[in-house]
Amino acid sequence: MATLKEKRTCGQRCEDFGRFVWNSDNGTFMGRTPEKWVYISLYYVAFYVVMTALFSLAIYVLMYTLNPYAPDYQDRLKSPGVMVWPDTYGEEVIEITYNTSNKASWMKMSNILHKFLGPYNDTKQSECNYYNCTKGKYFIQKTFSAPHHTKWACPFKQSMLGPCSGLEDPTFGYNCTMPCVVIKMNRIIDFLPSNSTNLPPYVNCTILEGHDNVAKIEYFPDNGIMDLSYFPYYGILAQPTYVNPLVAVRFSLVGERQAKIQCRVVSKKISYENFHDPYEGKVIFYLKALK
Amino acid sequence: MFEMDGEMDKKKKKKMKKKEKLEGMKKEMDILHFSPQKIFTYLTCFSVLHPQGLTSTFAQQILERDGPNELKPPKGTPEYVKFARQLAGGLQCLMWVAAVICFIAFGIELARGNLTSFDDLYLAITLIAVVVVTGCFGYYQEFKSTNIIASFKNLVPQQALVIRDGKKNQINANQLVVGDLVEIKGGDRVPADIRIITGQGCKVDNSSLTGESEPQTRSPECTHENPLETRNIAFFSTTCLEGVATGVIINTGDRTIIGRIASLASGVGNEKTPIAIEIEHFVDIIAGLAIFFGFTFFVVAMFIGYAFLEAMIFFMAIVVAYVPEGLLATVTVCLSLTAKRLARKNCVVKNLEAVETLGSTSVICSDKTGTLTQNRMTVAHLWFDNQIHAADTTEDQSGQSFDQSSETWRSLARVASLCNRAIFKPDQEGIPIPKRAVVGDASETALLKFTELTVGNIMDYRNRFKKVVEVPFNSTNKFQLSIHELEDPLDLRYLLVMKGAPERILERCSTILIKGQELPLDEQWKEAFQTAYMDLGGLGERVLGFCHLYLNEKEFPRGYRFDPDEMNFTTSGLCFAGLISMIDPPRATVPDAVMKCRTAGIRVVMVTGDHPITAKAIAANVGIISEGSETVEDIAQRKRIPVEQVNKSDARACVISGGQLKEMSSDELDEALRNHPEMVFARTSPQQKLIIVESCQRLGSIVAVTGDGVNDSPALKKADIGVAMGIAGSDAAKNAADMILLDDNFASIVTGVEQGRLIFDNLKKSIAYTLTKNIPELTPYLIYITVSVPLPLGCITILFIELATDIFPSVSLAYEKAESDIMHLKPRNPRRDRLVNEALAVYSYFQIGETVCTHILSVIPLCNKGWFPLLCVGLRSQWEDVHLQDLKDSYGQEWTFAQRLYQEYTCYTVFFVSIEICQISDVLIRKTRRLSVFQQGFFRSLCLGNLLCYCPGMPNIFNFMPIRVQWWFVPLPYGILIFVYDEIRKLGVRRYPGSKPRFIILHSNHLSSIHESPSTSIQYTHSVFINLLSCLLMLTLH
Repeated sequence: MATLKEKRTCGQRCEDFGRFVWNSDNGTFMGRTPEKWVYISLYYVAFYVVMTALFSLAIYVLMYTLNPYAPDYQDRLKSPGVMVWPDTYGEEVIEITYNTSNKASWMKMSNILHKFLGPYNDTKQSECNYYNCTKGKYFIQKTFSAPHHTKWACPFKQSMLGPCSGLEDPTFGYNCTMPCVVIKMNRIIDFLPSNSTNLPPYVNCTILEGHDNVAKIEYFPDNGIMDLSYFPYYGILAQPTYVNPLVAVRFSLVGERQAKIQCRVVSKKISYENFHDPYEGKVIFYLKALK
Repeated sequence: MFEMDGEMDKKKKKKMKKKEKLEGMKKEMDILHFSPQKIFTYLTCFSVLHPQGLTSTFAQQILERDGPNELKPPKGTPEYVKFARQLAGGLQCLMWVAAVICFIAFGIELARGNLTSFDDLYLAITLIAVVVVTGCFGYYQEFKSTNIIASFKNLVPQQALVIRDGKKNQINANQLVVGDLVEIKGGDRVPADIRIITGQGCKVDNSSLTGESEPQTRSPECTHENPLETRNIAFFSTTCLEGVATGVIINTGDRTIIGRIASLASGVGNEKTPIAIEIEHFVDIIAGLAIFFGFTFFVVAMFIGYAFLEAMIFFMAIVVAYVPEGLLATVTVCLSLTAKRLARKNCVVKNLEAVETLGSTSVICSDKTGTLTQNRMTVAHLWFDNQIHAADTTEDQSGQSFDQSSETWRSLARVASLCNRAIFKPDQEGIPIPKRAVVGDASETALLKFTELTVGNIMDYRNRFKKVVEVPFNSTNKFQLSIHELEDPLDLRYLLVMKGAPERILERCSTILIKGQELPLDEQWKEAFQTAYMDLGGLGERVLGFCHLYLNEKEFPRGYRFDPDEMNFTTSGLCFAGLISMIDPPRATVPDAVMKCRTAGIRVVMVTGDHPITAKAIAANVGIISEGSETVEDIAQRKRIPVEQVNKSDARACVISGGQLKEMSSDELDEALRNHPEMVFARTSPQQKLIIVESCQRLGSIVAVTGDGVNDSPALKKADIGVAMGIAGSDAAKNAADMILLDDNFASIVTGVEQGRLIFDNLKKSIAYTLTKNIPELTPYLIYITVSVPLPLGCITILFIELATDIFPSVSLAYEKAESDIMHLKPRNPRRDRLVNEALAVYSYFQIGETVCTHILSVIPLCNKGWFPLLCVGLRSQWEDVHLQDLKDSYGQEWTFAQRLYQEYTCYTVFFVSIEICQISDVLIRKTRRLSVFQQGFFRSLCLGNLLCYCPGMPNIFNFMPIRVQWWFVPLPYGILIFVYDEIRKLGVRRYPGSKPRFIILHSNHLSSIHESPSTSIQYTHSVFINLLSCLLMLTLH
């Protein structure tokens, strides 16, 4: 014991360490002879190559067995999320705040929307999604009838948003007190918003705070409806050109010109009361127009 | 007064010096050498000037100056220090550091303003909580054992008869002061160090102080320079066995000899326990690896392009991730389980860590009196009819008795019964004879008990032979005689019985009883007597001779006035009956225990204060000196050559006395300890015991000291583990010891050794098991940093694995039974056989099998739900973006942040489950298969795992998601494969027990590999093989 506890001086420790690094007595470098080092390195290289190969093989087999069109499980995606654009955040929540008299401020908002609506450009849509969908019912496709072994996707054109399309008014109303926001619902493979075919999901916005500050709420397309023909979604491989249906909402701000607004996509199978996911089936945002 | 003040000052100075330099004190306690001259000074100062004793007022003054006459309890460590000590072990320190790092990391995150998770804070709090909770647990355990020990303390205040103001008073002994005149009588405890002034037949039992088992006479003459040897001083806390004496108190309280020895013990520092050293070594390895890894990835992170602060946080996180959070709890629980098991076998452990120490012990220095022996004189041999008969010396009289049919025996028994003044104390009918309390000196007690056992009802027997006169033993005559009337009322002769030193008895005899016949005592018989006497003396036994004579009826008719002083009767021409020899016999369990210690490679050294001959005899008796071993002196005698010519290395055994030891340098002592495997040290002082222990420690041994007396306490303290006797042990010994044998059974030490070795092995298993999952837990984070994938395993989940589910299996390893050969192996070499060596650490850390397995598993749910591995690479920043509510997966679906988060939790849970399942198969194969699967602890861990996964609310509290049932079965192939593989290995070992083919022994994951430290490459090959198969199997299941 005593010998174990013996305090060695720093010099001795260094010397010991030095001997460990290069021991001239038996020609070992860090405890092994160079020859042994070569062997052990070779062994480890081989070992890790094998391990990596093994891992890759396992992953490959796994990927190979997966269905490329749809995931096996969707338990974490029971109900789609909903988001609003312009997606500008304050501290924690979405705050769409702009200054009507500051061009840079409202240009920021309109630019976000322009960028967001890029894929919905009418010409683009008519190029890639030229299939003429039947409105008002689910577009269920059992076969891959579209070219390149895909399925058809229904077009959603920017112009369908009417006054909020940015085509007539490129400012989306942000230069005045009638701003447009765009509501998008997330896509989920094989998700049908409701069982009955005659009740399409629609967006309904309510004022949570500042009721007196909002004079009018308008929805585009009419009634804020997301047409049933956009459902179900068949996945990126089957419908590479699919675009989410959108709903634009225009608010007429008066008085203090600010409000807390909740926009909900109303449908039977879309839940909106998940305490832990505030974006499930609805989106809450602050809208504020400064002078 | 002045004289005395001077004395006190001198002593105080010496005490100061002592504290400054313990070394000097160890040489020989010079403060013990106050010369008899000084004692006479006390005498003239006090008793001679004040024959009436002190006046009460003066006594009161001295009392105020000196304090009460009691041993100050050794400065008990304050409770908070004890508690703090629980929080400051090696592992604890590691965890403190980790907690601090967590706080710093949290602080940095806070300062940078991105507070997305409180994981760091939680981790820090958990780490601290673990340390504190295990600290409380350990503290509670030690508190409990302290209480058990405290309950053994004698709380009855001692009384003393003191003469003050010319009057005799009974006062509490702690009120005594220097200069007081006290009276002691048989049965009293000596209340302080006293100088005897008058005494009649006073004998004291010094065994607790010096280890001498024989009673020591105390009389007014100064007989020796050394106060420990001189007859005129009786020491505090020794017992007066018989006689009466008056004396003047020369020292009180802590200044008494015993007080000084006790304080000597408190001056000896406590050594670190071997297990603490092992754990520190382990912590060193962990810390080294952690910093190495952390630094590597810090560099990698900087290289990849992270900001310095971020890289710093990664560094901290990796270092913290290396800390095995659960290990502390496991170790504490394992140790306290063993402590509990030991307590059931009557070994109480004061300090949890001492549980293991006995297991590493390679030398036991054992005291003789009271530890190896019963500390009770017992008749061991008889010589009559020219034959030596052995008596039964076992404690419970279970041994063989001798032939009692001879007529001579009847006469001898009669002499022994009648010529004996000892009597049993009343009201002891229920108690077995050997345990009954007796008034009388040790040898008379032994004879009384012996005759009571063999003849029966001695009190009644003595009444039948009415005693007429008696001459008590005195040192000039060296005999004791009494004259009795005979049992038969018609026989009017008197019977004279006599016992004493054999040679004196023989002088007075003219005849000898052989087979009931009185034969003339000629040269031939004298020769026979001499041989027997020498033989018995050589056994270290105290021999007494017995003779009798029927007095002539005519010369001594009834009513003759016998005068004990004049001795007006025949005291020669007696008839020799026989010899009876006595010894303090070894405890029955000791020889077997010593044997077991030897098979276990533990050397037993006897260190006693008793005489060399007795010590050697007992040592030979219990096997410390084995049969056929000779000392240098024995060889010299056998070969008839001078001692100097004997080759020392021929002698296995060696007896060294305190006197010789004093002359030896420490090198010579080391040399002696190295040369002679069987050592006996006799007549040693407390300091010398200390020197012997140190010498053993210098030779690299882990030393256990067993003892009961105050004289053992410094050595007990110095030893790596001190073992004190619970019943016979003095408080000083118990205070100094780490372990206490409640039943005084030396054999319990063997149990302690076995349990200690077992806990070491089991801790090894536990640690190997615990470390196995460390890399599987760490790599997710490393991948998270380097490849920027979503984090597959969260911090809280890791904590749950470490501190909840995995605790049960790893603690269950502590219940493992010992391997059958555990007591046939040598004690571990503290320098070579570490608890955790680098090989084990590296091996456990690079548990490739489990790592790969768990990673593949964590990929599966991601894939199944739409996140393919390639997409995940670099996805981290988007994945963790709270503001991104429509992140597309590989199938084009869009996920909100919360949905992604729950997906991440699902990964955590799957990872958790796969680690749990892998660990279950790990624990299964690590076990010897003696326990039922239900005892393995993993059922509890499975239940807990299920609870965590499926209890509502868990996702938001502890980040556990209810996962699909099939995930539980995905890791099964891996588990089953390991298990099957191990079964094949075991089959192989059973089939070819001797050969141990490498292929079969060295399997992928397991313990035997750690024991046998094979080349790691082969293990890896196997783990590759296993993983290949298991991965494929896994995929088919998916």
